[in-house]
Amino acid sequence: MVDLVTPQIQSAADRLQDAIDTGRPCAPVRDLIGEHDIDAAYAVQEILAATRLDAGNKIVGRKIGLTSDSVRSQLGVSRPDFGSLFSDMSYATGEPVPLERLLQPRVEAEIAFVLKQDIDNPHASVTDVLRATDFVVAAIEIVDSRVDNWDIRIADTVADNASSGLYTLGCAPFSLNGLDLAQVGMVLEHEGEPVSVGSGAACMANPVVAVAWLAREVARRGTPLKAGEVVLSGALGPMVPVKAAGVYTARLDGLGEVQTVFTDDGGAR
Amino acid sequence: MTTSTVPLAVRLHDAQRNAEATPQLPEGISIDEAYAIQHALLDQRFAAGERLVGTKLGFTSRAKMVQMGVSDIIVGQLTDAMRVNDGGEVRLSTLVHPRVEPEIVFRLGRDVDPTDPLADIVSAVDAVAPAVEVIDSRYRDFKFNLADVIADNTSGGLFAIGGWLPVGDVANRAVRLSVNGKDVQFGSTAAILGHPLRALRQLVGIAAKQGFPLRAGHVILAGAATAAVPFGPSVVRVEVAGLGSVTVRGVA
Repeated sequence: MVDLVTPQIQSAADRLQDAIDTGRPCAPVRDLIGEHDIDAAYAVQEILAATRLDAGNKIVGRKIGLTSDSVRSQLGVSRPDFGSLFSDMSYATGEPVPLERLLQPRVEAEIAFVLKQDIDNPHASVTDVLRATDFVVAAIEIVDSRVDNWDIRIADTVADNASSGLYTLGCAPFSLNGLDLAQVGMVLEHEGEPVSVGSGAACMANPVVAVAWLAREVARRGTPLKAGEVVLSGALGPMVPVKAAGVYTARLDGLGEVQTVFTDDGGAR
Repeated sequence: MTTSTVPLAVRLHDAQRNAEATPQLPEGISIDEAYAIQHALLDQRFAAGERLVGTKLGFTSRAKMVQMGVSDIIVGQLTDAMRVNDGGEVRLSTLVHPRVEPEIVFRLGRDVDPTDPLADIVSAVDAVAPAVEVIDSRYRDFKFNLADVIADNTSGGLFAIGGWLPVGDVANRAVRLSVNGKDVQFGSTAAILGHPLRALRQLVGIAAKQGFPLRAGHVILAGAATAAVPFGPSVVRVEVAGLGSVTVRGVA
């Protein structure tokens, strides 16, 4: 899919890869690829993905970003974006997550979809998503930016794998049958205090709508959603900076809860 | 009570009646003095024939408490004249600079004596409903300190209540505020101290200290589930998952 790698695209990928390798955030890449050239930004993302795949990782799913109206307005864009989830990014609820793996982490509560069918259809609708979904679980996405101080515009975040980091999944699967995800209340607590609240409707009116957008977008880009993939469908409320080791618990009304336990002691699994 | 209580209450009452902003109160008013001003303010409404129908809770979000440097909720009073029917109109010219926020409201099925150490307000609640509160500070630029806002009946304006339902699990219900059909705020009832019943329990201690009766039939607006938004000529709808919706219409 990376059919035209310009020197600027390669330089942007090198800059972000250096931040990944050194653990030191870098300058934005929009000076190299242009603030609004989305295709160039996805080309950078693909170069970085190829490096991770070469290192033995597998793609296990996708994440959707910019699913809130207010965040899209801030960035001056009308559409969400997406990144890839790799096999080394997943943690189970309660499992220690070492802060060493992250640069500038923030957390947000989401609904994760797990697919039982491919959706290889550039015109996929919500019915295709509903039919292809095996189950949903509560999730906390730990977003991160390789760009210093999160100084991102649309091109920066797309190039940087949609600012993905790690994620934590709950262990209670729910069928979508009879469930209206727009009506799911969400509270994210830090050590027992509510720090972010929201609902399913905050994610593009309904998280199913976000996943349908993703299905179309990745089918058009030649990397359709596959059976077994996990899709982090987008934040249900504002994201919260993570400043130190500690526990974050997301409660999703009717979908159980999920906990992320950040550690700063190496967090051996 | 200081000698300035009544003049300050009169100033706030006039500001409300004339829909004109007034300067903040002088510095140095204590919390107890501020509640005394609020009582003097409400006495003027009662003298004009209005009746007490309940209380409203404020500063019920952790973020707001931190911002205001307080650890207690604040309490205001609701009168029958502040109530708007579900679907009813609000004449915006009667308000200074109104904002709307989505809430849930509880109804007491029996009297609660707040001075009774065994008082259990939660078991006295017999119904819950979605609500929209029109808040309106009488102060210039909607700016106030803790004493200012307590004295000003905690920015109480108007309120509308949807259909009553028996109280089920209200800990984490999705809440939506829409303006002219467009969703503009998303939240959860968990925004209210992590669980709205916590705010209700905090009310009892403040009611005992500041002399608020808690009577059968009274309604208690439990606090905002999202940030407030400005209220212009528009249709504002609040929906709480599992509890239904309530609408008010702002007219010029």
